[in-house]
Amino acid sequence: MSASLSGRQRLERALAIVPWIAGQGGTASIEEVCARFDIDAEQLQSCLTTVSMVGVYPYTPDALLDAGMEPDHVFVKLPDYFSRPLRLTPTQTFSLIAAGRALLSLPGTHADGPLARAIAKVAAATGATTAVEIDIDTAPVGVLDQLQTALAAHRCVEIEYYSYSRDSWSVRTIDPWRVQAVDGRWYLEAHCHSAEDTRLFRLDRIRELELLDQTFAPPANLAPLAIFEVSGTLPTLTLDLLPGASWVATQYPIESSTQLDGGRLRVTLAVSALPWVERLLLRLGDDAEIVAVDPTLATARADGARRVLARYLH
Amino acid sequence: MAAADKFERMMNLLAALLDARRPLTAEQIQERVAGYSSDKEAFRRTFERDKDELRDLGVPVQLATVPGTFPEQQGYLVDRRIYELPDLDLEPDEVAALRLALQAVRVGDPTAHDSESSAALWRLGGVADGSTLDVDEELATIPVDERHAVILRGVLERRVCEFDYDSSTGSSRRSVEPWRIGYERGHWYLTGYDQQRSDQRSFRLDRIGERIELGDPDSFIGPVRAPEDRDYKPWDDGSTEVQIAVLRVDADQAPWARELLGDHTVDSSDSEGTTFRVPVTSWPAFRSFLLSFLDRAELLEPLELREELIAWLTAVATETSR
Repeated sequence: MSASLSGRQRLERALAIVPWIAGQGGTASIEEVCARFDIDAEQLQSCLTTVSMVGVYPYTPDALLDAGMEPDHVFVKLPDYFSRPLRLTPTQTFSLIAAGRALLSLPGTHADGPLARAIAKVAAATGATTAVEIDIDTAPVGVLDQLQTALAAHRCVEIEYYSYSRDSWSVRTIDPWRVQAVDGRWYLEAHCHSAEDTRLFRLDRIRELELLDQTFAPPANLAPLAIFEVSGTLPTLTLDLLPGASWVATQYPIESSTQLDGGRLRVTLAVSALPWVERLLLRLGDDAEIVAVDPTLATARADGARRVLARYLH
Repeated sequence: MAAADKFERMMNLLAALLDARRPLTAEQIQERVAGYSSDKEAFRRTFERDKDELRDLGVPVQLATVPGTFPEQQGYLVDRRIYELPDLDLEPDEVAALRLALQAVRVGDPTAHDSESSAALWRLGGVADGSTLDVDEELATIPVDERHAVILRGVLERRVCEFDYDSSTGSSRRSVEPWRIGYERGHWYLTGYDQQRSDQRSFRLDRIGERIELGDPDSFIGPVRAPEDRDYKPWDDGSTEVQIAVLRVDADQAPWARELLGDHTVDSSDSEGTTFRVPVTSWPAFRSFLLSFLDRAELLEPLELREELIAWLTAVATETSR
């Protein structure tokens, strides 16, 4: 298995190196070829030795590729085939454009910088200009600019933040550590002064951001982000979901799930805040039946309905 | 030693197929390409495998009739116009930026991402040393599976995609002219022209079945208009009975509502909030959306649906706790 993988990569690399050297007028420095193609001098020598035995019938000297290594440079002389690299596969095109467009939505990258230009050229050449769209939710431009400064200078910031699970706005002072995208959204990982703990903030829920003079020392090692980290013993809720409501199982962390008759799914969820569960139960409407519920959450659905109803009957 | 032999043989095979003026029959390949066994069975097995591996790299190995043969004989060749990457005219800082993007954003699983990234950058000529750009950690990951590559191929080569699709009304077989795939709020969507429904539709990729069939290349003309103007909305299931929902959302929640509903649905906006006019075909989905705002949003019209919602909320509000 690993032999065939490395064989594939050797072939892949040779098919890129040979045309590249040919494109430099047939000769290039060993150092540069090694740097560009992640190869060491010995592997490069072996690659070119093999290439010099390749050709077409009847394999007379004029029908063979000429390639080799001199003390300080490599050379190739080619018939006209192999003068261009192999086109990109759809998967490679996709990776380049998806990664590039995702990074372009990051705080601090420029819409007319080298990355944007590169993506435009790749997309135009492969016919993929409108084929792939990447939209990662982010914060308003003003917030991003300020945040970029804060991240670079390790300055504390004050943010006005909307908590979806608590359904409330609050002002907090935080040490912004880093920004990362998970599941299509940008998150800011930070130390929250009032919680005295690490918190994740969704960039699109920050309304105001103010730079403070105070600075902080960033932590040395940050673990990968865990968006739903169920901590301790949270109250739980068990629901039977009709097929139309099965999205719950893919959208939220599920403690357990069982497939039932008629396409129904029984799931148990940990609940971290009351407004979150009110909202979930109202959104599900008649597509979900409550099977078991922690006593503290027993009236959540009715309470939520009363809250919304108050607006309609004002 | 065997690995070097195979590498040399594959290069020879590719050289022969690229150089061929007319399709080469299997017999010609066995005779003329250095490295193949003279035993017919052993040749067959090795040649089939080599051919598949070349195709796996993206080499367009074609099977075609050899002109002037009777009875007709089939042969192989590689069209250089399809094989060759056009000159993309990339500047060194642009290739370096692409490398940075591939380091910062992982697309798919790590092993596949690493090998596809190196292969793509090599084909673009690699990145010269001395580049100061480097990132030491992933900033983002974008999940993908086999369906992406198949559908993207459909988009790029204008092939009709046929697949099973699970929607709220059950599973059905669809034929779609694929225009674009997009990643939004953690989900992938395919937008294209649904041939059965004779209209533009969006599909969530995770609801598309594994078995996707691609039609012939260039079998449709492409988007007649930019697909941006209608993205996937759960409350538009594509049926023709459209009603307009008038929705009022409080100012602090209005930016998200606007992001999800689209700018074109904004009717009016003031310091208190924003009023939206939204075309809706699936009321259960729209009700679910509007209730996600709890008491920060209010359905104003249509009146009968407002009454229905109030009746439902009243029933729920008075239900006894269990």
